[in-house]
Amino acid sequence: MTQGAPAIVATDLSRRFGEAEAVAGVSFEVRRGEFFALLGPNGAGKSTTIHMLTTILAPTGGTAEVMGFDVVRQAYDVRRQLGMVFQDPALDERLTARENLEIHAVLYGVPRRSRRAAIEGALEWASLREVGDRRVRSFSGGMKRRLELARALMHGPRVLFLDEPTIGLDPQGRRHLWERIDALRAGGMTVLMTTHNLPEADACDRVGIIDAGRMVAIGTPAELKREHGGKPDADLEDVFIALTGRQLRDELATARDLMVSFAKQGGEHTR
Amino acid sequence: MSQDASAHLPGAAPGVGVRSWAGIAPSVVLVMWQREMRRYWRDRSQIFGGFSRTVLWLVILGFGLGASLREIEGYSYAQYILPGVIVLNVLFASLQCAIALVWDREVGLLREVVVSPAPMLSVTLGKLLGGATISLVQGSIPLLFAPFIGARLSVGGLLGAWLVIFFLGIFMTALGVIIASRLKTFEGFGSISNGVIQPLYFLSGAIFPLRGVIGGVGFLDIPDHLREELRRIGVFAIGGGWVVQLPEWIQALVYVNPVSYQLDLLRYFLLRFQQLPLVADLLVTFALPPVAAVVAAWFMGRMLKQR
Repeated sequence: MTQGAPAIVATDLSRRFGEAEAVAGVSFEVRRGEFFALLGPNGAGKSTTIHMLTTILAPTGGTAEVMGFDVVRQAYDVRRQLGMVFQDPALDERLTARENLEIHAVLYGVPRRSRRAAIEGALEWASLREVGDRRVRSFSGGMKRRLELARALMHGPRVLFLDEPTIGLDPQGRRHLWERIDALRAGGMTVLMTTHNLPEADACDRVGIIDAGRMVAIGTPAELKREHGGKPDADLEDVFIALTGRQLRDELATARDLMVSFAKQGGEHTR
Repeated sequence: MSQDASAHLPGAAPGVGVRSWAGIAPSVVLVMWQREMRRYWRDRSQIFGGFSRTVLWLVILGFGLGASLREIEGYSYAQYILPGVIVLNVLFASLQCAIALVWDREVGLLREVVVSPAPMLSVTLGKLLGGATISLVQGSIPLLFAPFIGARLSVGGLLGAWLVIFFLGIFMTALGVIIASRLKTFEGFGSISNGVIQPLYFLSGAIFPLRGVIGGVGFLDIPDHLREELRRIGVFAIGGGWVVQLPEWIQALVYVNPVSYQLDLLRYFLLRFQQLPLVADLLVTFALPPVAAVVAAWFMGRMLKQR
């Protein structure tokens, strides 16, 4: 593995669910230290792609490598290299912030003697020191997201995957989180994020636009505007509409969506 | 590597990976077990449920039905159902713990666990041991009422009972994990309570003996020598009633229900009263849970790959 080798390489990566082809032969590279956005409408295959790259979903075709490790054959090595923030919070709401971080430290094999410092450092970084012993259930969406981002960094990952990191946040929370992501970027972290927020994608080094499971365009925001915008002052929205069309992307609720909406009504705690 | 990611976060320590032997990493098992225990202690409703079930079944039903059923093989009705009430608490505790997986998988911590390098076998093991420990605590609640219903427990009997409860907890949590892995969505525990817990409970001989039917006041007492004779042919006299076999279809259901055997052994330890072949009791109680645990780990792995 050389210094200049890309952090992520996907080659003809595909995934079918029965008849439906969620991702149909996607190829792209993310360089080390690059901030890369996967942009696409609902159901385009963004999350499926991220799940394959993070080894939690097996591809049905093609290959992918993260930091030089194959996501299927060397899943364990890939997992050690990456930090992940899911679209919806993946926290135990009945536990405190500290307890959630402690579980993470153990799962990633952070040595016992450095666990305490890692946990305190993460709380500090997320500006959650004062509420570290409060149960996560009482946290706002922004606090949960900051906690998850800090958690994803605790074990010193090389690549960070963010699935719609700012979704559901208010403008203040969004700004705060974005500043933190920016700081990571300045520190040279490789970040791959999915989004359908255009200003966020515009701030990335490179953007891949994905639709119906295919990569329809890839390049820096400036390149994309020049090549696909169709007018001199085109913004990323013009590019997006030009490439993915005007059709609405309505989806029926899945079993998972039903659970999420149940969760929002109080869910488990209504039992 | 020139870029050390730990520079981004004060105190961040590079994970050294998870040391495991054949998929078993003690630190992971321990932390997942601890998580279950923390969740349990904070859920007052579960502890309250354990007490309310005990009061309803053991005290109210025990004394209520006990008023018309004078005895079952020399034990009062409340004493007879004591092991059953323990089993009922264990069924609720272990299945609640296991079914929470559906939740955990979609909107909880499990996704974070799945993407980590921790071996899934250890995660499953932590879950099963957690479910079994919660079962042990919840199953001990009815034991607190033992003096109140005149049941005298020996130290040996109590230790034996705890062993059975722990293994029953492992078994039922494993069964719950298998059910949870098949559930697509989950909006309440009612279906599990009505569809799994109650059939297993009612068809285990928990509230009526396997052979014999309920008589009661108004019947003449069966003379002791006849009682002995009946016992020899495997029929158990109840109170002053005439002894009849249960309908065959209920018998069949009781015999295929593994909980019947676990309960029978538990009743042996608590009351020295036992109705099924002892070998079957021991096999079902101690050999089945490890098998169920392996199957549960397999289902768990499959569930997470299918996402």
